[in-house]
Amino acid sequence: MKNMKQWIALVLALVLCLGTMAACAAAPAPTTPTETEAPVETTAPAETTAPVEEEMVFTEAPFLTAAGTYGKVEDRLPVADDVMIESVDAAGNALEIGVYGGELKRSAGGGNWDAGKPIEEGLFRFNTSGTVEPNVAKGYDVSDDYTVYTIYLREGMKWSDGEPFTAEDCVWFYNAVCLNKVDGKGVRSCHKDANGDPAVVEKVDDTTFTVTFGTPKYDFVEALTVDLKWHYAPKHVFEKMVDLVIESKGMEDGDAKTAKEAEALAAAQEICGVEFSDIGKAGKEMLYYFWNYPGIPTLNPFVLSNEEGKNSIKGEYYEFVRNPYYWKVDAKGQQLPYMDKIVYTTVQNETQTLMLLLDGTVDYQTIAVQDAPTVLDAETTSGTKINLYQWAPTYWGSGEYQLHLNLGIADEQKNALFNNPDFRQALSIAVDRVEMAATLTNNWNEPGQAAPQEGALGYSEEWANQWTEYDPAKAQTLLESAGLTKGSDGFYAFADGTKFELNIVSVADSGAGTTYEFLKKYFNAVGINCNFNDYDRSVVDNDLMAGSIECMLFPVTPIGDISIALKPNSMIPGSATNVAWYGTMNEETATGDLKTLIDLKQKLDETGDPDARAQIVNDMMALHQKNQWTIGYIAEAPAIHAVNARIHNFPDGLVWSDIYRDMGIAHCQCWFIQE
Amino acid sequence: MLKYIGKRLLLFIPTILIISVVIFFIIQLPPGDYASSYAAAMAAEGEILTPEQIQDLRVQFGLDKPWYVQYFIWMTDIITKGDFGYSFEYGRDVWAVIGDYLPLTLAISFIILVFQYAVSLPIGIYCANHQYSVGDYIWSFIGFIGTATPNFLLAIIVMYVIYVKTGGMYLGLFSTEMLQNGMRLEYIPEFLGRCLIPIFVIGTSGTCGIIRTVRAQMLDEQARQYTLTARAKGCSEATITYKYCLRAALNPVVSGLSGALRTIFSGSTVSAIVMNMAILGPVLLKALKSQDMYLAGTIVLVQAILVVVGTLLSDIALAWLDPRIRFSERS
Repeated sequence: MKNMKQWIALVLALVLCLGTMAACAAAPAPTTPTETEAPVETTAPAETTAPVEEEMVFTEAPFLTAAGTYGKVEDRLPVADDVMIESVDAAGNALEIGVYGGELKRSAGGGNWDAGKPIEEGLFRFNTSGTVEPNVAKGYDVSDDYTVYTIYLREGMKWSDGEPFTAEDCVWFYNAVCLNKVDGKGVRSCHKDANGDPAVVEKVDDTTFTVTFGTPKYDFVEALTVDLKWHYAPKHVFEKMVDLVIESKGMEDGDAKTAKEAEALAAAQEICGVEFSDIGKAGKEMLYYFWNYPGIPTLNPFVLSNEEGKNSIKGEYYEFVRNPYYWKVDAKGQQLPYMDKIVYTTVQNETQTLMLLLDGTVDYQTIAVQDAPTVLDAETTSGTKINLYQWAPTYWGSGEYQLHLNLGIADEQKNALFNNPDFRQALSIAVDRVEMAATLTNNWNEPGQAAPQEGALGYSEEWANQWTEYDPAKAQTLLESAGLTKGSDGFYAFADGTKFELNIVSVADSGAGTTYEFLKKYFNAVGINCNFNDYDRSVVDNDLMAGSIECMLFPVTPIGDISIALKPNSMIPGSATNVAWYGTMNEETATGDLKTLIDLKQKLDETGDPDARAQIVNDMMALHQKNQWTIGYIAEAPAIHAVNARIHNFPDGLVWSDIYRDMGIAHCQCWFIQE
Repeated sequence: MLKYIGKRLLLFIPTILIISVVIFFIIQLPPGDYASSYAAAMAAEGEILTPEQIQDLRVQFGLDKPWYVQYFIWMTDIITKGDFGYSFEYGRDVWAVIGDYLPLTLAISFIILVFQYAVSLPIGIYCANHQYSVGDYIWSFIGFIGTATPNFLLAIIVMYVIYVKTGGMYLGLFSTEMLQNGMRLEYIPEFLGRCLIPIFVIGTSGTCGIIRTVRAQMLDEQARQYTLTARAKGCSEATITYKYCLRAALNPVVSGLSGALRTIFSGSTVSAIVMNMAILGPVLLKALKSQDMYLAGTIVLVQAILVVVGTLLSDIALAWLDPRIRFSERS
C-alpha cells in the first residue's frame, strides 16, 4: 500500500506538472474547428479509439455463438473504423488480453446505482486524470465562440436489441424527454446557458448532432459527462409511451387526462412488464434508471435479464447478461465484455457482503480499511484468495471526523463567531488528532485536515497539515481573540455574558457519536461547552434545509470532490443541496470570502481561456485553504477494493469518485475470469 | 358459545379501526417522510435531489397532505375497494410485495414453531417428572441459555463457528446456484443444512418459556387430589401424565399460541437480517425506516388482526380443552 501511495503521488506530481489541472478544471481545450467535415476526435487518446487496422478480425464469445441467433459479430459491431478498442485502463496501463466466459458474482441491497454505475456508458467518459475521452460519441467539435458543439457518433452502432443507435435517439431524448421532464429530471445544468436558457439540440445526420447555446458554454462536454452522462434513450421503444405522457401532461385534470395517463402506464407496462403507480414514477424509473428494468435496450456491456425470476432488482436474485451488440473490442478484436454475466444476490444488510466475499460467494466489494486484514486472512480460513486494490479518495477527509459550522446561522453572535477564522482554528487545534486516530481508527486512518488528500488533484502538504498541531493553550488564546471570555464555570461565554454552547448534530449510526466523545473531551478541556444529538438521516436533511442545524458532524457526504470546477457542490455555498457544509446561504446572503468564492465560480462559468480558468480554480482553492471552513480531524482513507483473485484486469491506483462513476471507471467490460 | 364468538367478532371492527389509526399515526410520527428518506438514500449513492424534486415526489406520493387525510384515503380504499395502497419503495401493490415474501415466511416460521413445541413440551414434561434431577438442571440450563442469549448474537456465533470450521458462510436459506437455477433435487441437502441455523437459533429462544411453563404447571397438577386419586386407583404413570396432568397443564401454553399467528406472519426481524433471510420481518423494518407508509401500515395492520384473531382462536381452543372455562362463560 505504501508503494501505491508513492506511485500515486508520483503520477499526481506528473499530472500537476503537465498542467492537467487546467485541462480538468477548465475548458475542454478543443482543437480549432476545421474547415473539413471530418469528425475530430478531440480528446481521444490514441490507444482508445485508434482506427482499426485492416487485418483486425473480430471474434465473439462462445456464449453468443452457442446461442446461434445473433448473426455475424462484425454485423453487430459498428463499422470497423468506429469500433472502440479498449487496450488500456483509465490510468493508461495496458490491459491483459482476456478469455471469455464466467460470471461476476456480486451482492446487492436492491440499489439503483450500485448496479448502474459499473456498466454505465456515457457519451464521453473521464479517465483518471480528470480528462474527458470519447466513449459512445467518438468525438466532438466546438465553434470558436463556444456556442455550438457538434457531437459525432459511431456509425453502425446498435442498441442491445439490435436496432440501430443514431443521432435521432440523442436528439429525441433531449427534445422529448428532457425538455418535457418525462424522466423526472428535465434539463440538466449542462444544457443551460449563462441565462439559464436550455440549449437547442438538432440532428445533422444519423451520426451527427449539434448542441447550440445562447451564450458561450465553455465546459459543456465536462459538464455533460458529470451531469447527464448518457444523453440518449431508445426512441423506437419509448416514443409511444413518451408521446402519451407529454399529451397527458398538457391536459386539464379530469377523466380524459386520467384515461390518457392509464394509456401511458399501459404503454410503460408493455415495455418492461412493470405496473407503475403513476406516470411520474414510470417516466423516472424507465428513462432515468433504465438499466433497472427488463426489456429496455441499452448500450451498456451488460443488460438486465428478461428471464422471469432473474429480472427484478427488487428480487432475491437478478442478473445482467452480456449485450450481444456491445460496441467495444479488445486489442485482439475480441468483442467485449469477456464475462457472460454479472449476477446479484440480495443481502439484508450491506455488511454481509464482506462475509460473502470471504467464502468466495461474492467476487468484489469495496471494503473499509480496517477490514483488510480479515479479507487477507480468508485464504487460510476458507481458501479464498482475495487481492486488494487501493484507489485515491476524493473527499477532503473522512465524513465522521468532519465538523461543519452553519456559517449562515440566524443567531447573530454565533454567526459572527463561526465566521471568525480564529474560532475555527481553535476548534481545530484544541484536539489531539494523533490520539484520536490511534483510538478511533486503530491507526488505520491518519490524522489530517479537511483538504485534498494525497493522490487527488489540488493536494498540498501544507494544507493537509494546516491547523493540525495539538495546542490547547493557543486554542484558548484564539477563542479569547474571537471575543469569548471564560466564565467562573470554566466555560467560555460571549462578551455580554451570554452562555456559549456548541450544538453539534449528526446522523444516527454514522459513527459520529464516537467522534463526538473525543471532541467533547478536548473542547471541554479548553473551555468550549458542547452537546450532541444524532437523528435519522432524513430528519437531519430536513433540518439542514431549514437551516436549523448549528454544527454538523458527518454531513450527508464529506466535503470535497475531484475538482472544484467539475463538481463544486460541496465546495461552494449557494445551492440548496449543499447546506450541509455551510448552512443555508446564497449569493445574496453570503459575505466575505464566501461571497468571493461564489463570485469566482460565476467568473469561472464565464471564462473560456484555459489558463484563466486554471487561475480562477487556484484562487478558489486558496480561499478554501485560507479559511478552512470545514474542520477535518482524520484523513480520508483510500478506497480499498477487495477482489477475488480469479478476476483479472481489475485496475489499481485509480481515483474513487462519483464523477468517475465510482466502479464505472474500472471498465468491468474488460475484466475476465481465470480460476 | 356461538353468541360469544359472534360478539367477539363484532368487537373486532372498532378494535381494528382504532389500531389502524394508531399504526398510521405512529408510522408517520418521526419527522421526515418517504420522500426525504428516499432523497437521503439517493444522496448516499451520489445522486443529489433538489428540494423541488423532493417536493415533486411528495406530491406524487400524496405525502403533501396531512396524515389524517392520507389515513382517510387509505382506509376508504381498503374498505371500499380492498386496495391497501402501494409500496413507494417497490413501486408495486403492497400485497404483491407481501406475497413475494409470505410463502417463505410462513414456511420458516411454522417450522420454527413446530420445532419449539416439539422440543420444549417433552423436555417440560421430563423436567416435571424428574424434578431437581441432573437432567432437569441440564435441560433448564440449556433452555435458559437459549432465552438469555439474544438471537442475533447466537446467530453470529453459530455462523462464525461454521465459517471457521468449514470455510463456508451459509448466509441465507438459498445459495446463489439455487436462486439461479431454481430448486433442484441435488440442492435439497444444502438447503436443509441452511435451514438448520435459523431453526436452531430462533427456535431455542422460545423454548425456555414453554419448558418452564409446562414444568411448573405439571408440578402443580401432580400435587392435585385427582392425580393422587388416579394413582391410588392404579392408573399407569403414563396415563396420569399424558391424559390428566398434561391436558390441564396445557392451558397457558395454548393461550400463548395467540401471539404465534402474528409471529408466523412476519417471522423474526433482527435474526432474519443477521442470517440474511428474505422474509417479511426485514421488509417491515426497512419499510418502517424509510416510512414506506402503506407497506409498513399493511404489515402491522395484518399483524394486529392476527393477534386479535389469534386471541379469539386461543380462547376457543381453551374452552374446548378446559370445560371449566365453558362453564364460567355459560354462567
